[in-house]
Amino acid sequence: MAMLAEKPKTTTANSNVLTPKKLKAAVIGAGAISKEHLTFLDKCDRADLVSVCDLSKAAAKYAAKRFNAKSIYTDYRQMLSEVKPDIVHILTPPHTHKQIAQDCLSAGAHVFCEKPITPTYDEFKNLWNFAQSHNRCLIENQNYCYNKPILAIQKLIADGTLGEVQEVEVRIAIPVREGGIFADENLPNPIHKMPAGVIHDFITHLCSLVVRFIPDFERVSAAWNNHGGGELFKYDDLDAIVISGSAHARIRFSSHTAPKTFAVTVRGSKGYAETDLFQPYLRCVLPRAGEQLSPLINHFLNGWDLIGATFTNFRNKIMQRTCYEGLHLLLDKTYAALIDGKETPINFTHMERTNRLINALLSEENRL
Amino acid sequence: MKLLITGASGFVGQYVVAEALRRGHQVKAIIRPTTNAKRLPWHNHPALELTYLDLRSQHGIVDTLQGVDAVINLAAAKPEGDFYVRFAGTVIATENLLNAMIKAKVTRLIQISTFSVYDYFRIPSETTITEDSLIESDPLEREEYAQVKLLQEELVREFMLHNDHNYKPQVTIIRPGLIYGRDRFWTTLLGGKLSGNLWLRIGAYATMPLTYVENCSDALICAAERDEAIGQTINIVDDNLPTQRTYVKTLKKYGAQIPKTIPVNWKLMRSLAWVFWKYNKLALKGQARLPGIFNPVILDARFKHFNFTNAPAKQLLNWKPRYSLDEAIQRSCSQEELLQISPLSVNPSQEENLCGSPT
Repeated sequence: MAMLAEKPKTTTANSNVLTPKKLKAAVIGAGAISKEHLTFLDKCDRADLVSVCDLSKAAAKYAAKRFNAKSIYTDYRQMLSEVKPDIVHILTPPHTHKQIAQDCLSAGAHVFCEKPITPTYDEFKNLWNFAQSHNRCLIENQNYCYNKPILAIQKLIADGTLGEVQEVEVRIAIPVREGGIFADENLPNPIHKMPAGVIHDFITHLCSLVVRFIPDFERVSAAWNNHGGGELFKYDDLDAIVISGSAHARIRFSSHTAPKTFAVTVRGSKGYAETDLFQPYLRCVLPRAGEQLSPLINHFLNGWDLIGATFTNFRNKIMQRTCYEGLHLLLDKTYAALIDGKETPINFTHMERTNRLINALLSEENRL
Repeated sequence: MKLLITGASGFVGQYVVAEALRRGHQVKAIIRPTTNAKRLPWHNHPALELTYLDLRSQHGIVDTLQGVDAVINLAAAKPEGDFYVRFAGTVIATENLLNAMIKAKVTRLIQISTFSVYDYFRIPSETTITEDSLIESDPLEREEYAQVKLLQEELVREFMLHNDHNYKPQVTIIRPGLIYGRDRFWTTLLGGKLSGNLWLRIGAYATMPLTYVENCSDALICAAERDEAIGQTINIVDDNLPTQRTYVKTLKKYGAQIPKTIPVNWKLMRSLAWVFWKYNKLALKGQARLPGIFNPVILDARFKHFNFTNAPAKQLLNWKPRYSLDEAIQRSCSQEELLQISPLSVNPSQEENLCGSPT
């Protein structure tokens, strides 16, 4: 363990008036996703970043220095014992989550865990029961549910603008085979050992968004394919249908279509809304002024909105605002809930539905 | 000597292995597991032992170090990838290697660093860059390559301080300028890529801190052979360094492929970048991430006018660049097999240009 010199945090006008209660936060795993968590923790008035732990001392040291953590560790059990954090962010490879989470919960810390929380549904339930028995909160990162366009679509549903939800399509297209961490055959990414292979890295996002709009399901059919072949990738393509009463959802993962996209379309009985979370915009096609004028007005307003989104996205790119904006909002709400003793924004129902759907997609009897 | 060379299949590594074998050393060459070794001209040399390892994992490194006299660490992340990919391939790989060296009791390390570690923004122009020049004080302003190389060098300097009764590292840090050679002629010291084969060519009269890959490889082996290099940080650049204009003219003279370019005056580009940078700092609180050519910190590292010296390298390594700029480009543009080795054809004691006193 090493203690680092503390740098003063940026103080906002608000925090000068009232210093909110802070949670002692620690991070286990200092890989790429840690940047998003640590950026939040460095700036959040509700968090006191007490430690960063990674098997690589160099990685822990870099993260701690850049994001002003007070100590570094290479052994998380030692960190839990000495620092006694209130909440731990688990950002390690998925197959390590369960053991680390149990150790954190046993040490009295709440757990905010990167997705997928566990490899299987049964392991999730075991871990949830473990958290309950220790009276601690367990939260899986379902960050895209808190991106602005998704919240906007939820509002359109809540206020009845879209009518009753009838169809949802969630589509991710990422060229995972064309270089990058997933295509590295020299040191294969641990995600390849998960039940859905590389798609397991995205499946929580896909499913958590579906269950936001169609909470439960009766029938599932899933086609898992490895179109690119080879030993490294278990699957590189998923095409699934989820049916709940009259509502249908399509879940799509493709590594062979371009450009990169994270498209979400929600169709209701009155109209539909669509977005791309990688290049955010919101297109709403609604009844606006009668059957004759609606198409014209929708086209005009959609065009106007798309032009606006172009400028907003350009600004966001320059200002380094990424598609992880939802993570920061989710973390902010989570910390507020924990401090106030309220229910966390991602609760058991959200996680149970998501992981049950993942389980159904992977079940042999549902495969095409 | 028995040398362990990491990053052996990389651009520099291939030449370093060839040079080591020419000089009569035994070489353990570490290459990544999926590397096709048969494309390496020296892969079946009798003094060579190929080892397939990925240094991002600790697995197998200690065993590989058994019997090794010195390590030449050239391992680095491939140029593509974000900061964390580069961090793993450069910093964590080096961390694993250093930890394994301690366990295996191998003390001698020649670490390749880079000229990118210097703080060109704060060093006045026309200054001579030496080993004691200011090191970058604000790495986050620099490109990711410079950031991870700074962290790697910091790691190695911590390793140099490791000192117990049984183990005291003997380290040489080699900081080469920009290394050029066959298929690696066009560089970011000439401009910024706009798209495809179109570059913005920035400035014409800055001196380029270049070292030809065979000259640099020679220096790295000299560093391994010379006790005088232990504990030293040494800059490596060639003699008679060209300006950007001279370099491009020489490339054209020997028919090297060069992209289409749009020339832009250095001072104009610098002024433009400064305006963007100041606006970012003052109005946007430094939150904006501008393209490198609009960042004066990155621009200065590439195009600001400095002088360079290789006097310490010549003295400490008893080295001098074997090939001039003309010879280097001519060789590189020829059909000659530059990595071919006639086993033990060169006896260090007889070769005038070699650095004497092999250990």
